[in-house]
Amino acid sequence: MAPKYKFTYFNARGRGELVRLIFAAAGVEYEDVRFDWEQWLAFKAKGTTPMGQIPVLEVDGRMMCQSLAIARYVARETGLCGTTSWEEAQADMFVCGADDLLTNLITVRFEKDEAKKEEGKRDLATYVPNFLANYEKLCGTEGYLVGTSLTYADLAFFNVMHDILKVTSLDKYPKLAKVVEHVTADRGVATWLAKRPDTPS
Amino acid sequence: MAPKYKFTYFNLRARGELSRLIFAAAGVQYEDYRIDFPQWPAFKEKTPMGQMPLLEADGKVVCQSGAIARYLARETGLGGKSSWEEAQVDMFVCGVNDLIDKLCDAHFASDEAIKEERTKALGPYVTKFLDNYEKLGGPDGHLVGTSLTYADLAFFVGMHDVLKHRADALEKFPKLAKVVERVRENKGVAAYIAERPETNI
Repeated sequence: MAPKYKFTYFNARGRGELVRLIFAAAGVEYEDVRFDWEQWLAFKAKGTTPMGQIPVLEVDGRMMCQSLAIARYVARETGLCGTTSWEEAQADMFVCGADDLLTNLITVRFEKDEAKKEEGKRDLATYVPNFLANYEKLCGTEGYLVGTSLTYADLAFFNVMHDILKVTSLDKYPKLAKVVEHVTADRGVATWLAKRPDTPS
Repeated sequence: MAPKYKFTYFNLRARGELSRLIFAAAGVQYEDYRIDFPQWPAFKEKTPMGQMPLLEADGKVVCQSGAIARYLARETGLGGKSSWEEAQVDMFVCGVNDLIDKLCDAHFASDEAIKEERTKALGPYVTKFLDNYEKLGGPDGHLVGTSLTYADLAFFVGMHDVLKHRADALEKFPKLAKVVERVRENKGVAAYIAERPETNI
């Protein structure tokens, strides 16, 4: 029988959306729990989370944390992590790189010091083109970062590009443009994108 | 036939040591290639994402320290004995990475005031980290399951400077002290540690 999944995070994309996209692409049911700040504090106070953080994933009552460990587990369970051990490593590599960029974006977004925020934005102005150039160079030829079918690497790329795509075209990056096309054309992802809550981050 | 492995990083522990310890614990041969800082700019051009460490396996290259460690753990049986165990191991390793990030943020801060603030924050952070890991860790000197995984090796790596600073840091954490003991007892690890270059980080 299929496991009962419950995914708990804030009402935000942030460090939770990759897991939600994996569930969507895989067509796997799960409970999508979203906390506001008060609910999070109450939950945290119960002391049931492994490391006092969210997201957490519960599978048939057992709980784990760490957003990427969760993503890797769900990708593995749903066949979206690559078809060989080496492909798994490549997909993993792409996801780690996307997460590095995501961390950068989150840091700049939530930076309260104006001067540091401006410096962060300046750094991103070189970081992002570098990131895209590398990924274009490394991307597979079939419209998927790795191999010949969708993996969570494609989802991670799509996820981190959320705000960037609003202001940057992928014209110079035809392979990556194809990846985004494949991700948005995926039935499960398309359905999810149409119905997911619209949140600022 | 076993793949021909080459691991390339700076002559540092930092983000390379976990992979080196996995090779050591697994008793797997590899070329431990260490690059000097002056060589790096020229070498950087030839890397997938302008970063190290790199793993070459029979000529194919992958980067991102976490992806490399996970691949090596998978290939050498040090990744956990089931998909869920793999996820737990992954979770512990991610938590150690968070700790290492905090240690690096404090160590490398260029602004004296920031450095002092971050170093002060380390005390409570490390205590909370150890509290969590003691609570979650297995009873037999292994964070997950009943035999060595790279989660134990990662914990050992993360604790290197903490233990150097205070040898009794694990006094109140008997399960974690056992983990460190088991890692040090491992024949491959012990031999490697006896020979490895002494580095600042």
